[in-house]
Amino acid sequence: MHILIVEDDEVARDYLAKALHEAGHTVDIAVNGIDGLRLASSADVELAIVDRMLPQLDGLALVQSLRATGRKIPVLILSALGDVDDRITGLRAGGDDYLTKPYHMSELMARIDALARRGENNAAEGNTKLKLAGLELDRMTRRVMRNGKKIELTAREFQLLEFMMRHSGQVVTRTMLLEGVWDYHFDPQTNVIDVHISRLRQAIDKDFDKPLLHTVRGAGYSLREDE
Amino acid sequence: MAPDQRFLGVLDTSPFRIAIVYSIVFACGAAALLGAVDFAVSRVIDGSTDNLIEAEVQGLREQMVVLSRSDFIELIEQRSQDQDVRGAVYLMVDPQLRPVAGNVPAWPKLDASVGKWFLFKVAVPFGDETREHEMRAQRFPLPGGYKMLVGHDVQERQDVKSLMMRGLIVAVIMTLLLGLGGGFWMGRRILAQAGAISAVATQIMRGDLSQRLPVRDADDEINTLAREINTMLDKIEQLTLGMRTVLDSAAHDLRTPLNRLQATAEEAMTQMGVGSVGRRVLERVTTEVDHMRSTLDALLRIALAETGTVAREPVDLSELVASVVELYAPVSEERGIALESSVAAGAQVLGSRQLLAQALANLLDNAIKFTPDGGRIRVQLRGSPKEPEVIVEDSGPGIPADKREIVLGRRVRLDEARKFPGSGLGLSLVAAVTKLHGARLVLDDAAPGLRVSLKF
Repeated sequence: MHILIVEDDEVARDYLAKALHEAGHTVDIAVNGIDGLRLASSADVELAIVDRMLPQLDGLALVQSLRATGRKIPVLILSALGDVDDRITGLRAGGDDYLTKPYHMSELMARIDALARRGENNAAEGNTKLKLAGLELDRMTRRVMRNGKKIELTAREFQLLEFMMRHSGQVVTRTMLLEGVWDYHFDPQTNVIDVHISRLRQAIDKDFDKPLLHTVRGAGYSLREDE
Repeated sequence: MAPDQRFLGVLDTSPFRIAIVYSIVFACGAAALLGAVDFAVSRVIDGSTDNLIEAEVQGLREQMVVLSRSDFIELIEQRSQDQDVRGAVYLMVDPQLRPVAGNVPAWPKLDASVGKWFLFKVAVPFGDETREHEMRAQRFPLPGGYKMLVGHDVQERQDVKSLMMRGLIVAVIMTLLLGLGGGFWMGRRILAQAGAISAVATQIMRGDLSQRLPVRDADDEINTLAREINTMLDKIEQLTLGMRTVLDSAAHDLRTPLNRLQATAEEAMTQMGVGSVGRRVLERVTTEVDHMRSTLDALLRIALAETGTVAREPVDLSELVASVVELYAPVSEERGIALESSVAAGAQVLGSRQLLAQALANLLDNAIKFTPDGGRIRVQLRGSPKEPEVIVEDSGPGIPADKREIVLGRRVRLDEARKFPGSGLGLSLVAAVTKLHGARLVLDDAAPGLRVSLKF
């Protein structure tokens, strides 16, 4: 994938470019807002990572201008500001996701992956039935079956599984789950998400040979068929 | 606002109340004034007619002695016809009360008397018809059992009196109506202005500090007050914006190097083998970065809540409490802690959903952290939908009464708490968020354990 990085901090930018390159992406770099906007408008770029505070043209203004021209590429905004309201401001300006510094590279990679596959995720959103291996989730009847066997879930476990299935094959981080399933934007000190996931795992994997819900060390979780 | 409420609202305004009081005072004044005029006028008119009648009676009494009966009768007839003496009435009757002379058709009933004065009614020609006129008269006996009645038409006086009475009533009613109308009008004006001001004040309270009170091109008290408040708001906005800028640059200047540290450590880790000493050291570095980040996040959120510049929106507190409880239910169950909750439906507050969620999460985090395995945590949402109260009780060690105030201060960790993980900012954030929402935070003894109450 062709990814544009608009970031003025050299250390963060270089590591990000290197990590993305190693993950197999083509990387473009801009160190200020004006260059960033120019590059983001070019047809090659498929996704942009934009720092909020940039020289010459502010990150939010960049995204706004880009959206004004009708460019719909996914944009991840990086921010070193406070938060709470800044996040909403960022998304309102046209950003698709928002990440506060300092971040783990695994968190950023998971979010980029989700943004890159937003198209197929959105398509999945339109389906009443989500399927993975023998696992089947019906959003209309709110029933979950695995290999024809009915699985009882609480309302929250159902939401959690739905989110995981929409992102099947991808790494989903704890913060992504907290944001996507609970709409909370803070880090609880206790490992609340892990316990919810282990409950879900009990429900869907316990009585079956092949586990579907995997823990990705140092990153989060992934719902997938292999391994 | 419904029309009814608007109407009742006007009745509650001070101009309307003042107008009521003043119109009653003015109405009483008008009544007193007209009463006094009426009294004076009747004194004058009554006095002059009475004098006239008394002089006539006196004259006739003298004539009665001098003149023969037939001459006296002629005199009476003459006087009765005399057009110069308008309104004068005469009647002479024989002992059987049959009229002998005069311009009154029959001897009236004279039972009602005030002293020597009698009042009676006589039909008087008035254009083509006749009208009953009131007469005021004196009587006196004549020789031979004859009787004489001498009086005067006082209808005009009565007319003037009733006219004045009517004038009086109309004046009082007009004063009251004008007063009430004026008061209502002024009340509506005040209400409209006050409504505009309170609408803006609500927006300002929601965090939009750029709003200003509407000011009209007039120098009345309300406009002067509004202008002064606007000047004050300018200063507050400058101050808070200044604080926000300081906060943002502080955040930026701390997050950027932390991010570099994280990036550098992570990059270096990729060069090292899994399980190597160098990698373990770097893992410790990133763990520290995580701690610093969560402390920084908490500090920034506290500062943000304290500047009051957080955007506010209606938050379904019932839903929020239930969802935070639900978030922590599996963790507490794993620890064998009974997490009970009773949540009243429909509670709504104006505020920041994210900050409220975090404050509630911090309370539950703390409760779970300090409650021993097998303990009990109770979460309640009670009270009215507009003034709800959230209570979190645990069966942990609690906080000694003399230390409850202190723990709400920034970064206080009691010695007993040092063995538990955490930044020590949890309760400070709860306190800041509570204050931001105009709520009251009370720490109490749950016997045993801690009881935290947030009263909105």
